Amino acid sequence: MPGSEISREIYWNVTAFSVVLMYLLAGATIAVFTYGFYRRYRLWRLGKPANRLDHVMQRVAAFIAYGPGHGRTARDLYPGLMHLLIFSGFVTLFIGTLMIMVQADFDVQFLHGQFYLFYSLFLDVFGFLAIVGVLMALFQRYVVKPEYLYAMYYDGIVLGLLLANLVTGFGVEGLRMAATELRQGVAWAAWSPVGYVVAQPLVALDPGALQALHTGFWWLHLLLALAFIAYMPYSKMLHSFTSPLNTFLRSFEPKGQLSTPDLETAETFGAGRIRDFTWKDLFDGDACTECGRCTAVCPARSTGKLLDPKLIVLDLRNYITRHERGLLAGRDVAAGDPALPALVGEAIPEQMLWDCTTCRACMQACPVLIEHVPKIVNMRRYLVLEESRFPREVQGVFNNLENRFNPWQLPHQQRAAWAEGLDIPTMAETKGQVEYLLWVGCFGAFDDRNKRVTRALAKILKEAGVSFAILGSEEKCTGDPARRIGNEYLYQMLAQENVETLNGYGVRKIVTQCPHCFNTIRNEYPDFGGRYEVIHHTQLLAELIAQGRIKPTKPVDEHITFHDPCYLGRYNDEYDAPRYILKSIPGLRLSEMAASREKSFCCGAGGGRMFMEEKQGARVNQTRVGMAQATGADVIAAACPFCTVMLEDGITGKGLSEQMRLRDCVELLAESLGEAQAGGSGAG
Amino acid sequence: MNVYVCVKQVPDPNAPGKMDPATNRLVREGVELVMDPWDEYGVEAGLQLVEQHGGVLTVISMGPERAKEAMRKALAMGAERGVLVSDPALAGSDALATARALAEAIKRESPDIVICGTESSDGSTGLMPGMLAELLGWPQLTFAKKLAVGDGKATIHRQTEVGFQIVEAPLPVVVTVTGGINEPRYPSLKGIMTAKRKEIVELSVGALGLSADQVGAAGAKEQVLDLAKPEERQSGTIASDEGDGGVKIADFLQQRRFI
Ligand code: SF4
Ligand code: SF4
Repeated sequence: MPGSEISREIYWNVTAFSVVLMYLLAGATIAVFTYGFYRRYRLWRLGKPANRLDHVMQRVAAFIAYGPGHGRTARDLYPGLMHLLIFSGFVTLFIGTLMIMVQADFDVQFLHGQFYLFYSLFLDVFGFLAIVGVLMALFQRYVVKPEYLYAMYYDGIVLGLLLANLVTGFGVEGLRMAATELRQGVAWAAWSPVGYVVAQPLVALDPGALQALHTGFWWLHLLLALAFIAYMPYSKMLHSFTSPLNTFLRSFEPKGQLSTPDLETAETFGAGRIRDFTWKDLFDGDACTECGRCTAVCPARSTGKLLDPKLIVLDLRNYITRHERGLLAGRDVAAGDPALPALVGEAIPEQMLWDCTTCRACMQACPVLIEHVPKIVNMRRYLVLEESRFPREVQGVFNNLENRFNPWQLPHQQRAAWAEGLDIPTMAETKGQVEYLLWVGCFGAFDDRNKRVTRALAKILKEAGVSFAILGSEEKCTGDPARRIGNEYLYQMLAQENVETLNGYGVRKIVTQCPHCFNTIRNEYPDFGGRYEVIHHTQLLAELIAQGRIKPTKPVDEHITFHDPCYLGRYNDEYDAPRYILKSIPGLRLSEMAASREKSFCCGAGGGRMFMEEKQGARVNQTRVGMAQATGADVIAAACPFCTVMLEDGITGKGLSEQMRLRDCVELLAESLGEAQAGGSGAG
Repeated sequence: MNVYVCVKQVPDPNAPGKMDPATNRLVREGVELVMDPWDEYGVEAGLQLVEQHGGVLTVISMGPERAKEAMRKALAMGAERGVLVSDPALAGSDALATARALAEAIKRESPDIVICGTESSDGSTGLMPGMLAELLGWPQLTFAKKLAVGDGKATIHRQTEVGFQIVEAPLPVVVTVTGGINEPRYPSLKGIMTAKRKEIVELSVGALGLSADQVGAAGAKEQVLDLAKPEERQSGTIASDEGDGGVKIADFLQQRRFI
């Protein structure tokens, strides 16, 4: 048969004894592998229930797109390519090896003829590409060393094993080919190009030496392969299984919605111990590939704060690994168990949690859909609700929200003072007989700078003939800052009261001035029975322009750049409406920042950071202003009152007040509508 | 150690207050009512004493039924129980009548120390704690910006215009605390939840052995005769730095005996 048909002898130079031994070792390897998986499974089960098995078809689609499809992994060129090479190489080789097994040990003959030629070509090429991929990974970790990719000791082990597997594999192939195919001069040898090249210098060796070397390499390759498989569930290679699975287990809730616990029945509040997290939170830790993309885009991290989103995920994972026995035995940190250090405070420093602006850049960047923000907020909840530990400056904010329904010490009776002289009806006056409720928000109602925007907006809406009313002093803070600082109790109080008011008037459509209000009313109030059609003012204005109900005709001669608010863009996928408005204004020249749209860089105010001191590192707002400045624009266009305050402050802080200004999209539009005087500098 | 802290429910001091022209008194209906923010310092001081020395912290208040809402805040912060003196006959009480009612209630318990704010943010008379001490026959320590208890006596740092005095008195004692004494804690949700179940004892005027003419409007000796707007606060001094800024600041501080 040899030579007559295109194929190869499987188990050339491998004794039957070796094959038996191989299967025994493989069996042991699978046992070690399964046990490793089982141990992780036991730990995941410590978490609370969470339903991640609904929407099955969408889950399968996500799995395909983000797993083998590399949906997000490929978004960054170098690491995407690197991963694709290693991934496809190993998948191909693994399938190839299984095929050999099927043919040799189950006696199904199919590796011959043309099919065999392509088979061997495929395996060689993909194996070679995998080597390239591993070298790329080594280069990135040990030569380039980007700050977010600190290599751990096990990175070396894993990459070393991968490389050794590939190299010895080609060694075995080359030795076999040198002893057989090359010697026999078969024509198809070049269909295994890498083996062919490796074999060239080896042909000169005498057959005995080749055989001995082959035996050695064969065993070495086998042992390395088995070692690698056995090591997988104990190392970051676990992610080969957990990461794709994690995309299958993704959340289908709105991005901007945090969980709403029942505080009356809860025994513990927030997450301060492992059992307070959901199993999915714990699974996330094992799905992390440690790629550091979350860290690279984190505005807190990149301005020198302690927070590192990747570490939040890994600290959680390392905690359950390190304290596996204690945790499985049901021991509890809360009971002051000395064997278990505090999860929040010791394993994860509190400052890390307070540094987060909840901007969601990490979650947007993560190739395997890990959910950082819910974990961070959940730990904040624990700190606030159970421990009453939070940055000092926040206490006043809580008290004010509780008693005055705004974050400041301002009397809530004056919430509608901004509207003086504009003749805007309240819901009480119109008995709810209007199309829209204009939700003003605390900043729009009380902050002098943002009151100008509110006035401009209200005037445009009136002029366009939009039927709307406000709640006036019946409006309260939506509770967004309270919730994201972790004061879920206060948030739920405010949310309930607001929903009651809104439902009392039978409100159906709401237009908000603030993306934070927008997100909370739209995505989080349904949990309280508040279901409305909620839009952001930029969406309504864009629609009015498209319908020709307002016509920006007066040229506004400015060079601008637009800053995407996190809670409008990343959280609610609205990137186009504000740009549509800006582009419809004659004379405006728009330059985009590199970090725009999904990649926008937070102004620093989200997650209640607005009300906390920024003590460490560079200022987030000034860093963002620097990015805007780099575009050469003179005006930063904003669409969020938080951003307005932060970035205006950042312009002053950087000493750029002479060169740069901040203007809300509404203000620019008002100017183009010829209302500059009236809208831009109203009695703020 | 048995610590008692007096608290009062007041209209939110940050809301614009309204005066009733008929009575010349503050309108208390239809406004946001809170535990007087000044009392938070008293509650915190009391909690710290109990944490150091053991014992029970009781909050005590006088007012209508709804005053319990304000007391819940103190209970949520960590006080163990409440005593509320509540009676229709108490309406219109002045400082003395209030002190009388509270003193009778306190006498029925066995306190080592009673802590009050320096003054309430609505009435701002600052008279009640002194009267209370007198009626109880105890010493009083006022304007404490630091408080320590030990060896059967209380020692305070008494805030003065230029610094502080160290004053001590044997227990039992009435202490008034200033806003600088501590940073009041924020109640945890556990605290808020358990506060709902904590006991608040209600006492009527009769139960205290007082007659109706000793308290309320009938027993009031104070009268509000007239109302006037406070003088506009004078603007501060602006010193421009012409190379002598430091000297100017030093002179300013010296004139006011800060240095
Ligand atoms: S949400 Fe933003 S600030 Fe928070 S960890 Fe993620 S990237 Fe960093
Ligand atoms: S959390 Fe996601 S983005 Fe961050 S290191 Fe892990 S896999 Fe990478």
